Amino acid sequence: MLTLTEGATQFTVLDYFDESLRRAGRLLLETGPILELLMADGHVLSQAAKRSGQFVADLQEGQVKHALADLSPLRSLLPIGSGNLRKGTLALLDDDQKTHCRANLYMLSDTGGAGVILITLHGLRGYDKSLAALRAQIRDCDGTALSSGGLYANLFPKHVAYNAKPKVIIESDATTYQAASDIISTYLSVARANEGGIRADCDSEFLHDYRIAMRKIRSVLSLFKGVYEQDQTIDLKARFVDLMAPTGRLRDLDVYLQEKQRFYDLLPQTLYSGLDTMFGMFSEERNREKTKLTDHLHSIKYADEISSLAKLFAKRKKLRSGPTAALKVDGYACNLIWKRYRKICKIGGAIAPEMPDVEVHALRIHCKKLRYLMEFFSPLFAKPEFKDLLRPLKHLQDNLGLFNDYSIQQISLQDFLRQANDWANDTKLHVAQSVGALTAVLHLRQIEERAKIVDSFALFNSLQTQSTFRELFHDGRPKS
Amino acid sequence: MKIIACYSNKGGVGKTATSVNLAYAFAAAGKRILLCDLDPQGASSFYFRVKPSKKLTEASFFEDVEKFTKAIRGSDYDNLDVLPANMGFRDFDVFLSRMRDSRSRLKKALAAVKGDYDVILLDCPPNISALSENVFRAADAILVPVIPTTLSHRTFEQLVDFFKENDLPLKKLHGFYCMVQGVKSLHSETIDAMNHVYQKWFMTAQIPFASDIERMGLHRAPVMASAPNSLASKAYQALYQEVIKRVAGV
Repeated sequence: MLTLTEGATQFTVLDYFDESLRRAGRLLLETGPILELLMADGHVLSQAAKRSGQFVADLQEGQVKHALADLSPLRSLLPIGSGNLRKGTLALLDDDQKTHCRANLYMLSDTGGAGVILITLHGLRGYDKSLAALRAQIRDCDGTALSSGGLYANLFPKHVAYNAKPKVIIESDATTYQAASDIISTYLSVARANEGGIRADCDSEFLHDYRIAMRKIRSVLSLFKGVYEQDQTIDLKARFVDLMAPTGRLRDLDVYLQEKQRFYDLLPQTLYSGLDTMFGMFSEERNREKTKLTDHLHSIKYADEISSLAKLFAKRKKLRSGPTAALKVDGYACNLIWKRYRKICKIGGAIAPEMPDVEVHALRIHCKKLRYLMEFFSPLFAKPEFKDLLRPLKHLQDNLGLFNDYSIQQISLQDFLRQANDWANDTKLHVAQSVGALTAVLHLRQIEERAKIVDSFALFNSLQTQSTFRELFHDGRPKS
Repeated sequence: MKIIACYSNKGGVGKTATSVNLAYAFAAAGKRILLCDLDPQGASSFYFRVKPSKKLTEASFFEDVEKFTKAIRGSDYDNLDVLPANMGFRDFDVFLSRMRDSRSRLKKALAAVKGDYDVILLDCPPNISALSENVFRAADAILVPVIPTTLSHRTFEQLVDFFKENDLPLKKLHGFYCMVQGVKSLHSETIDAMNHVYQKWFMTAQIPFASDIERMGLHRAPVMASAPNSLASKAYQALYQEVIKRVAGV
């Protein structure tokens, strides 16, 4: 028995840029004053759509906000597309008119794509067979799970799905030239996909993803030694450095502002006024940096540069080969990973709580490079062993990363104080007190983190890890 | 979880209509309820359009938890499930004690779907003499529909005597008048006479004799669902309100 509601209402699908909701099998619909969240298990939650901004934190208190609490607080909800919605219910009855199961229907249309019917099934206890039969029938009609991604693609054909870590397919008989160029080309697309979000200042993760993509490209240029002609490699490195340069300060400020609460938590209330002043200045500086970066991304110079680079790595006519360009990528990958791993072991062999900062930084850089290499080449290797290696590496990197953050933050706070000449005297005093206290706390944290590095290195350097590294990468051929 | 039995040692007094509508009222108020149709005729299952389970005719099925839980059917109403028992009563006492024991497999299996039931409502067949004592001991409350006639007066008297003889707590008894016809002087006289003796065991809500209730067989739905504004519905709602007041913790 089918029951349809009268008339249609306008709907907008909301999701994060990386489609966190869709990937988790959920769908968020805004229909007039109501937000409806369809959960993966078919439950529907709703609440008022009124909100003070586009972040989950900006929603009014309610079921939907509560259910979205597992999402990253750094991303904003963006409209994926709009159309008309008509609802209905379908009840499966037997000859006694007894309901065996129900289905809620969401008929979504007028979106420029094909109309889509979204069905949530609700079984009644003791009628499992009928539920299974209805589910099978929906499958027979080419029905797919929400999480498979078909919904957005069918409804909004112009919508482009975003993936910050797309899989780059590397065949084992590919050359280093092909592999490096494929990786760079892919990450250029990732970077460019974020330009719109940075310009619109939707959330800080657009710039973050943009920078990571660019950094990966730069690491390919430096790690794949000799794959391109030397002069061209130098030139390319410089061009990517130039592209990233206008983004650095804005990213630093984003991180400060995200961690604002953490800084307040570190200090007693008596020192808050200095922090208020400092964060006020950061906020103003962020606005200026944001305008600068937006102008940069809008400029013809930028557009020309980025499309010329994209063309270079896509067409590859003017991309000149270097001495290692023709090597088979699988053996080359093993070599690179093995050598980098050995460098880490060498530093790690002398690791101790009192080791100098420069050594820790060197270890961090090597680990980062190893991680990039392993991620780039992961398609070439067997998955389970690879994951076993990545887990302790990630853990070690987390410690190293925190150690580095504490160190960088102390330096940049000192830099910040150097601007103090232009400030009023009482401002100077308040800020200097707070920054001084902060520096002391950060220094303490840094020492604590250094002690943890020794332990996480030991975990990373276990006999098991050593033998897996040797087995997978030592003789220069991947075993997959 | 509370166990409420709807029982009368006399047939045709509106016991099943009461069970069906009370179950509906509990569910509508958001309580998860399992209505156990213990009547061999399966009348409450019929009202909810649930087919009697052939598998459950074996008297010893309570020993098989899986069989038991598989026989439970969701009704067309939220929170309301039906167990179309259609069975003998050899193991009825075992069934009731296991339902109470939180460690029993039966209790755990029952809870599997949406968490515990708040109420188990037993629609008992008349004359369960051999096991009535067990039902009376296990249930938190026994609802007894009484048609205000001389004969019913006598059967209620017998029930009270039975409780006294077997040392059962009389406070579990909650009588109410059913199929009441205001125009019949016999009805009002009997009510007056019975109230004189049994008032403390009787609820004030009365279920009128109504064609809407008779038509339940036609609609195959609780009258509270098919004719929510009828006098009969309002009477059942009043009865429900009184039950939740009298049975603590429901």
